[in-house]
Amino acid sequence: MKNCLEIQGLCKSFGDFALDHVNLTIPGGTIMGLIGENGAGKTTTIKCILNLLHRDSGTITILGNDNLAGERAAKLEVGVVLDECFFHDTLRPKDLNRILGPIYPTWDNRLFADYLKKFQLPEGKYIKEFSRGMKMKLSLSAALAHRPKLLILDEATAGLDPVVRDEILDEFLNFICDEDHAILISSHITSDLEKAADYITYLHQGRVALSEAKDDILDHYGRVGCSAADLKLIDPSDVLRVRKGSFGCEALVADRGAFHKKYPKLMVDKISLEDIMLFVGKGEDA
Amino acid sequence: MSGLIWKDALVMRKTIKFYVIFLLAYFGLAILDIFELTFVISFSTVIIMVMPISCFSFDETAKWDRFCRSLPLEPRTIVGARYLFTLLILLVLAAFSAVCTLLLFLLDIGSVPPIENIGAMLGSLGAGLFIVDVMLPLCYKLGPERARPYLFAVIFIPFIAFFLLMEFGPDLGLSLEFLNRLPEINALGVIALIPLAGLLGLLLSFLISCRIVDRKEF
Repeated sequence: MKNCLEIQGLCKSFGDFALDHVNLTIPGGTIMGLIGENGAGKTTTIKCILNLLHRDSGTITILGNDNLAGERAAKLEVGVVLDECFFHDTLRPKDLNRILGPIYPTWDNRLFADYLKKFQLPEGKYIKEFSRGMKMKLSLSAALAHRPKLLILDEATAGLDPVVRDEILDEFLNFICDEDHAILISSHITSDLEKAADYITYLHQGRVALSEAKDDILDHYGRVGCSAADLKLIDPSDVLRVRKGSFGCEALVADRGAFHKKYPKLMVDKISLEDIMLFVGKGEDA
Repeated sequence: MSGLIWKDALVMRKTIKFYVIFLLAYFGLAILDIFELTFVISFSTVIIMVMPISCFSFDETAKWDRFCRSLPLEPRTIVGARYLFTLLILLVLAAFSAVCTLLLFLLDIGSVPPIENIGAMLGSLGAGLFIVDVMLPLCYKLGPERARPYLFAVIFIPFIAFFLLMEFGPDLGLSLEFLNRLPEINALGVIALIPLAGLLGLLLSFLISCRIVDRKEF
């Protein structure tokens, strides 16, 4: 399986915030979910991939092309949907054929029209009359109409209702049926990523806190609910993070099977991506 | 590049329609001999050359620049498209002015000889080019809102400076009187240097804008 995106040692400093040696690999035929708190570095990472920000160091390879030396070749293969619709209110969907058609040699007017039809977007209506959901579906249609191999989405589903999100997730799943295709999606909506993503990378304060196959995370990680007294009995090396509250304590464990064998009296529950975010974001070291 | 030129034209289509009506209306007033064609040409050229600057405002509202840099386009292509769009407007204006001058000459309307109308056209194209030469790099650097106050400076300061120099400055022997002594066609040749200088300035302006966009982060 070929890698569609490889990031090695990506660094970018702004003074008060820095991306610190971010590594990330997306194999073909997969969806990588990028999660993290606001300001964790998700958008900065995506901007570095697209060369909207000049990185300080590291390498970024998109489908075998360096994103600086082979910028044009790399971007020809990428479809981008950012957190907003960037098409002017005074444009109509059908105008995008004239604008994006000459930019992408592989732009397919018919495919674009098919997506507009599929998403029930009127091609002659001005974009200013579109709802947020319609605008995001238009952005997605435009991103897919030149048959990209890598789709990059930054908070593209934020603020959309569950029906629209589900429609878009279905489209992502169709897209990665091709083994040469991959998706990088940053999102706060972890339930969407639990549905669709194959890999999860969690950025925390500019560093990769976790990067694993989603199924491995959900199958192995666990949450221990216990009292403060019980927590003191647990070997700190057996837990990753803890959260202490007035009603009890919680601990994040990397291998809930092994933990249960070692501490059979303590309950270990399955964990969601959101729980992991809360442990890393609000918890403390064991 | 043609996609981006189309984008500017499509985004500005309502403004373009308005300016077409505006030009036709003023041409009508020139036919009725209410305005001299020299005034119509000069006034409309300076007004319409502000159009490329308006494109920046539309782009800023849509946050287009960020998306545009994610497309497979070099900064030079992105900037080049805006400059070509500007040149297209300029060509249309020059063609409109030339056709109007010819029509008025054929209809024998107006007291101003056609050669003066052509001189006004060349002078105002030069002034329009001077505006975009300065304003486009400023818009790339500062954004349209922060650059807009400079527009007034670009339009008025040269005129005020020239007026003050001629009226109150030391006698440097600067005078446009020599134009009157030249044969008309030669005088026109001298005036044609103004838009030519503006075009050379446009090349320099383009290179500066490319450098700004190349270094810019989005």
